[in-house]
Amino acid sequence: MDYAKRCHRIANGYYNQGLEKAKIRDLTGAAECLKKSLHFHKYQTEARNLLGLIYYEMGETAESLVQWVISMNLQPEKNRAAVYLREIQEKPGRLDAESQNIKKYNQGLYHAQTGSDDLAVLLLGRVIEFNPHFVKAHLVLALLYMSHGDYTKAGKSLQKVLQIDKLHPKALWYMSIVKSHTGRAEVERRKMDTAFSHRKMQDDDVILPPTYKETTGWLTIINITAGLALGAAVIWFLVMPAMERQLNHRHNQEMTGVLEEMNQKNLELDALREQVSSMESERDTAVSNLQTMQENEEGVVRQYQRLVQIVKAYGAEDKKTVANVYADMDISLITDPDMVAVVAEITSFMGEEGYQVLADMGNEARDGQKLDEALDYYQKSLGIKGDNPQVIYDMALIYQGRDERDKANELFGQVIMDYPNTELANLAKAARGY
Amino acid sequence: MIDFEEELSHYKPSLEIEAVEDAIGKNDLTDMTDLMMELIKERKE
Repeated sequence: MDYAKRCHRIANGYYNQGLEKAKIRDLTGAAECLKKSLHFHKYQTEARNLLGLIYYEMGETAESLVQWVISMNLQPEKNRAAVYLREIQEKPGRLDAESQNIKKYNQGLYHAQTGSDDLAVLLLGRVIEFNPHFVKAHLVLALLYMSHGDYTKAGKSLQKVLQIDKLHPKALWYMSIVKSHTGRAEVERRKMDTAFSHRKMQDDDVILPPTYKETTGWLTIINITAGLALGAAVIWFLVMPAMERQLNHRHNQEMTGVLEEMNQKNLELDALREQVSSMESERDTAVSNLQTMQENEEGVVRQYQRLVQIVKAYGAEDKKTVANVYADMDISLITDPDMVAVVAEITSFMGEEGYQVLADMGNEARDGQKLDEALDYYQKSLGIKGDNPQVIYDMALIYQGRDERDKANELFGQVIMDYPNTELANLAKAARGY
Repeated sequence: MIDFEEELSHYKPSLEIEAVEDAIGKNDLTDMTDLMMELIKERKE
């Protein structure tokens, strides 16, 4: 194999390596490989075009233009670089704006290197605002932030650089310093220790069987849903009934306690009611006794008053008044020894004459058609002397006249039975229709 | 710790668009193949 072919092979190898690195966004590493490829074979067009593309991705538009123009010079036909150049040139003002942005970066770098940090930060901020992929601008800006101790902002800039070029050496270096100042390095170290630490297997560690498969997202969701449903079912069918039973039991116990208490209260209430009833009864009895006593006292007084009235009438020989008042009198209440004799005399008079006086008064009333008054007098007369068939017969006639047959017949029957073989008995029989 | 001044001094101005033409002209395109061919040629002479 001649040297030219060997160089081409080496160049091709470097190109492949650069391509692989570019695919994983190790742009700096890829650029180094592609440069080496071109050192061995300048006609490695693919390597040159890719190098230009990497420069463009990192914000180095002029450098990319250099590579693509050279590429077009070395291989005018069937060259991808033509597409890239056309893409940039077709948009009016695009190249101009890129030019101004690069100048701005250079000014910013100059200010940074001459100590005008604030102005540098301002310019570089505008640069990355226009072209967020300008890696150099990010790096200088991060460096300025770090010099002023603003590691958070520096970290943000470096993060953007590493998003573009994942293994950019300077960005990684700066980032390590930023992390050491923000404590992020320690956190990541612990995570790494945890993730990759080896420890002795414990007794309760589980070895997954070979058939174990990593679940997918949908399967995880389905599993979670099924787990939730199963949990809900367990709660509904096992836990809830047990809780319900427990609650019911507790409520029943509470109800039993309350009912027992109510029963006890009811018993106490009944006892109190009985006590009240008994006391009311005693009170009524006491009131009744008191009333009786009062009435008795009044009765005694009244009897004495009547006795006085009788004595007066008796002295005036007013026999009707004596007989009438005596008939209404209760002589048993007259206990005064001085008065008892007077009562005895009056009683004697009533037994001898008074009953007839009352009978006569009844007759007079009957003749005056005052039948009720007559019956009253007859009754009083019989109260003093019951053995008086004439009065009984006269009463029967009054009842008969008033068509009160039962009473009339009873009295007629009394005359017939008690005084047989008398004129009155015969009259009574006739009145009865015998 | 980074020496800010020193680190900053490593940064060079970015190639401007206007300088592309010059850069292309100044670009040494000699590759290893050219050098080897030249060496072989010299050796033959």
